[in-house]
Order: sequence, then C-alpha cells, then structure tokens
Amino acid sequence: MTTQTKVKRGSEQSSDLEQKVQKLRELYADAPEIGKAALENVIRALQSAAPAKGPEARSGSAGRIGRRQGKVSELTVLVPLAPGGARRLRGFLEALHGSIGNELVDMVGTVHDMRFVFLDNDTKLLFCTAYDGDWDVYIEDFATKIPDILDLQFGDTEGWPGVRSPKVKDHIASHQITAAFWYVANPGLTVVETKRLERIGKATEEFLDKIS
Amino acid sequence: MTTAVDLHDVQAIVLRPRPEPYFGTHLFLHIDDARGGRELLRRLAPHVASAADWENAGDDQIAVAISYPGLVALGVPEDSLRSFPEAFRVGMAARAEKLRDYGANDPKNWEPPFGSGQIHIQVSIVSDAEDKWRSAMETAQRQVQGLSGVTVLLSQDFGAQPGSLNSLGYKDGIGQPAIEGSGVEPLPGQGQPINAGEFILGYPGEAGVPLAMPQPDVLGRNGTYVGLRKYQSRVGAFNRFLKENGQTLEDRELLAAKLVGRWRSGAPLTLVPAKDDPALGEDPRRNNDFTYASDPQGKQVPLGCHMRRMNPRDTKMAVLTDVNVHRIIRRSTTYGAPYDPNAISEQDDERARGIYFLCISAKVMNTLEFLQQAWINDGGFMNLADERDPLVGLQEEGSTFSIPKKQVRRRIHGIETFNVLRGGEYLFMPSLSALKWLADGTGRHG
Repeated sequence: MTTQTKVKRGSEQSSDLEQKVQKLRELYADAPEIGKAALENVIRALQSAAPAKGPEARSGSAGRIGRRQGKVSELTVLVPLAPGGARRLRGFLEALHGSIGNELVDMVGTVHDMRFVFLDNDTKLLFCTAYDGDWDVYIEDFATKIPDILDLQFGDTEGWPGVRSPKVKDHIASHQITAAFWYVANPGLTVVETKRLERIGKATEEFLDKIS
Repeated sequence: MTTAVDLHDVQAIVLRPRPEPYFGTHLFLHIDDARGGRELLRRLAPHVASAADWENAGDDQIAVAISYPGLVALGVPEDSLRSFPEAFRVGMAARAEKLRDYGANDPKNWEPPFGSGQIHIQVSIVSDAEDKWRSAMETAQRQVQGLSGVTVLLSQDFGAQPGSLNSLGYKDGIGQPAIEGSGVEPLPGQGQPINAGEFILGYPGEAGVPLAMPQPDVLGRNGTYVGLRKYQSRVGAFNRFLKENGQTLEDRELLAAKLVGRWRSGAPLTLVPAKDDPALGEDPRRNNDFTYASDPQGKQVPLGCHMRRMNPRDTKMAVLTDVNVHRIIRRSTTYGAPYDPNAISEQDDERARGIYFLCISAKVMNTLEFLQQAWINDGGFMNLADERDPLVGLQEEGSTFSIPKKQVRRRIHGIETFNVLRGGEYLFMPSLSALKWLADGTGRHG
C-alpha cells in the first residue's frame, strides 16, 4: 500500500524506479546470498539518490547493428579462423604493432581503440572496437584507401569476401554481436574532436604562460 | 583501363549537363493498375533521351525514374524486387534516422505526396528554351492523356530565371564529377575521371569491382539511382542573416560568398578572393579550375562552406576519406518565385520557392546517408566540431559558422536552416532497355 501512495504522489520517474526495483527483486529471488544483499544495498542507494537527469547523449543503434552512445559506437565480432589463420594474423599484428599499423589507424581518424583476441585454441577471433558514427559509413573509403590492411586483418577469418566485395557489409553484420550494455564516458567526443581539444588545451596553456 | 559506357542505353539526364537557361516540369505519377503503368512506360520509352547524342545537348530531355512501390505496382517479379538494396526498398522517409532528417526536416513535416509511398513514377522534362519545353510537355502529356490506370499526383514547373540563379540567388550546378568512359573531355579542375561504376550500374567502381546490381542484368545494367530532395528556401531568414552579419552590401556579398565558396556569379573565392568576377563565373573552362593547395586553412574558401564540404578536393581531412567515392551527379532544379534580395520577413520564408535537388549515383542511398551524416550535419572531418553545412545543413539552436581569417577566425553565431526539406524520394532510373523490359512486363509472373 505504501508503494501505491508513493506512486500517486511521486513523479513518473519514481514509479519507473519502483517498477525496476520490483523487477530486479524478482530476478534476484534465486540469486546467491551475496548477490541478494548487494542488490538491496544498491536499491537503497538508488532510492535515496536525486532523480536522474535525462540522458544527454542520444543512445541507440550504430547503424544496422551494434550500440551507440552519443557519437561513439561499439562493434564486436566473433568469427571462426581459417586453419593457420591465428598464427599469420598474430605475426602480422606483431610486425605492425607500434609502427605503421598504429599510424594507419591514426589516419583513419574515427577509431578509438581496437582489440584482437584469439579464442578456443586459436580457432576463433574476437574483434572489438569503439569508433565514431555508424559503422558502415566509411567502409567504401576503407575499400579504396586501405584495402590491403583490412584484407590482411580479416583475410584469415572464415568466409571473408574481401573488403572490395559488395558483400562485405553483410558479411561483417552476420558475425557481429550487439553488446548488451555500452558505456561511454565522453559520448560527445569523437577521436577528431578529442585531438582538437588536446591541441587547444596545449595552446591555451602556452598562451597563459606567455601573458602571466 | 577505360571501360566505355554504353551511352545509347543510359538516360541523358545522368551524363548530360542541365541546359542553361532551363525550363522544365517534374511530373509525379501513381500507377493504379499494372497494365496502365506498363502502357505509360511503353509510350514514354521512345521519347526518353539517351546520353549518346552530345551534339543534342540542350534539346528537350525526358527522363523517367521509378520508386520501389512503383516497381511493385508494375508487377516486377518478386526475386527482382528483392535484388534492390534495403534503403531503396523502404524509401527515403523510412531512412530519416540515417539521413539525419530530424526536426524541421522530419518526414512528418513533408508536403504530400512525398514520403507517402504514393509516388511511383517521376517524369522530368527539361529544355533550354520555353517553347521547346512546352512542346516536350505536350509530348509527355499526350502519353498520359486518355490512359487509364495512371494518375498525376503533382505537376511542378521549374526553371531559374533570370540569369539561371537558384532560389538563394546563386548560379549553381558548377563542378560536376568527371566520369570515365562517358565520352566527354573533363573540364579544367574536374580532376581525374572517376570510374563509371560509381554512377552507372554494371561498370567497375573505384574499388575496381562493379557494385551490386538489381537483377536480371537487363533491368540493372546502365541504370542508376536518383535521390530527390525537395527544399523550401527560407529566403527571409537567409537575407536577415546576411543583414545582421554584414554592415555594407560588399560585406554581405562577401559573407554570402563565404557560405558557398563561390560568389553569386559562380566565380570561386580561390581564384577571386576579394571581388566577384561575373565573366569568370560564367566560364566553365575557368570557374572550376583550382585546388586548395594554397589555401589549406580555408582563409579564402572556408573549410566549412558548402562547396568545400561537398567536394573537399585536396583538402587534408581529419578522417581517412576517399573523395571520389562520395561524389554525386547533381541536377538542381529551382522552382517558385525568383530570389529577392529585399525579402526579409518571416512570410518570405514560406513563399513557395526552392529547389528540387536530384542527385544521381549508382549507390545514391549510401552516398546521401554518408553526406548527410558526415559532410553536411557534422564538422568533424574538417575539424569544425559540430558545425554544419550552411546551405543544406539542419542547424540547431546556437549553431555557428566559422570563417578563417588572417589573425583570429570569425565565428558567426545563430546561423539558421536556410533550406528546409519538404519532401524526398529514392528512385531507380532504368536504362532505355530496362524501360522496355519493364513496359513489356517480361519475367512477370502469370
């Protein structure tokens, strides 16, 4: 009954919260004791916290697959490797690491980070990246500007049609897994904008040094 | 390696420049029954101009394009329909999120019949003289007259008079991409010809392979896609912006030139940074003959102006970009009242006047989404943060436009949306043989 009175007096937001709390309690009904206790602590913290402001950044889909927070999107691909593929790809990544490889990625200008992880006895590749915008927007540019790098990075994955192929978008999407949750600290900052702010920050300090 | 384009099979409007001056009409048609639709195509087909006869440039042209609902209404077989790209099938209105058509540009604010799925066929008639246009219109009308099963939804006359200026008072249509195998010598400044496959289906594109093509081959080959955008020009807002940010007429004209990268006459700021030169603007062999090599920071042509965004040429960009894969053929057609430099009221913003903008490419859905996301409604690629294209960008409250200068850049606050989107469609522009194939109903079930 108390809950009901609260709902009536409170805003839509608090009713939203109560619904979430109820859902969570149901979900954790058969959880281990540690989990249950932690949930109750978190619920208390949530209830006493100030009502959350609306999300600043547009959160949603990064094109046809994957999640986006503000301007930053995630891409997670899990794909089987051809026999011997892991050995070649590992060697290729090591050879390029810290040199031309990073320079090339810098040049792309939309990639925040990338990771290549070999799974299940080198039979699968987990590729994860955070990047700006929709994932397929610049794929044509990659296909004409850095096709060989992409074909070396993914050529050992099963069924890779080649980055120049009209089928490449469908192929990537077919192996892509959308993240269940995606958090971005600075959803408004693209790679380009971050670099620009870095330059402006330095210039401002120099300017202040000169006039102080 | 040069692949000659089969010019006899490609519609003239794809490769032949818009005449100047120009007079024309866009007809938007609905197919009520498949037989009527096919009969219309059968009657129109002999009058649709091909790109082969360059010597006839300027003669009346009739062009035909068909939307996805139009192909369905014509009874095109299911497996053919499925071979068209997703974005084309769902249509431009359904892609609003990808096109950043929000707020004022949202399809729910569009004028009928755009975005409703009702438009099945667009017939465009264009000529370099009023009498020729009228006779071409009569030809087109004769094909529609007495034809049951086809309804005219909208007939829109266009033509920029006087002086071929568009609805904001600029000469437009300068600086088209040069196309490999199109049989025309590139104009100075057009740059290296771009592989034909970027603009016409069935030929290698810039990646060296042909793009995916609708099936069967006879339907797809030598065809292309059209992105139609109907813009209402807010001439009052545009003039108010110039007035508020320019003291003298000279200041205002320089500001107008900085927004576009060209003076009203078409003369580029790169070649004449201080003063308009109408003779230069008029001359197609000179008005596009420049690079940005001597203007990397945009002190002459601002990095964020319309011309530099839509074709960055040799600008060093912050994001890896192949300029050649994002070019479009533009066929801009101005409608309504001529530009009036003295119009400053809010009523002037709504006076019927603007542009039916046709962009043509073999992957126009991709390209338009790229342009809208990266080059029009964002500034990151030019290191301009959130700034947007001053002519066709959708400006948000407090938007700015930066003009690089010798010392400190000038940043103008409060730029508004000057061209509001009031309609749009994706259309397939078939080859001449595909038009006949569609008219015959070949491959149709039953």
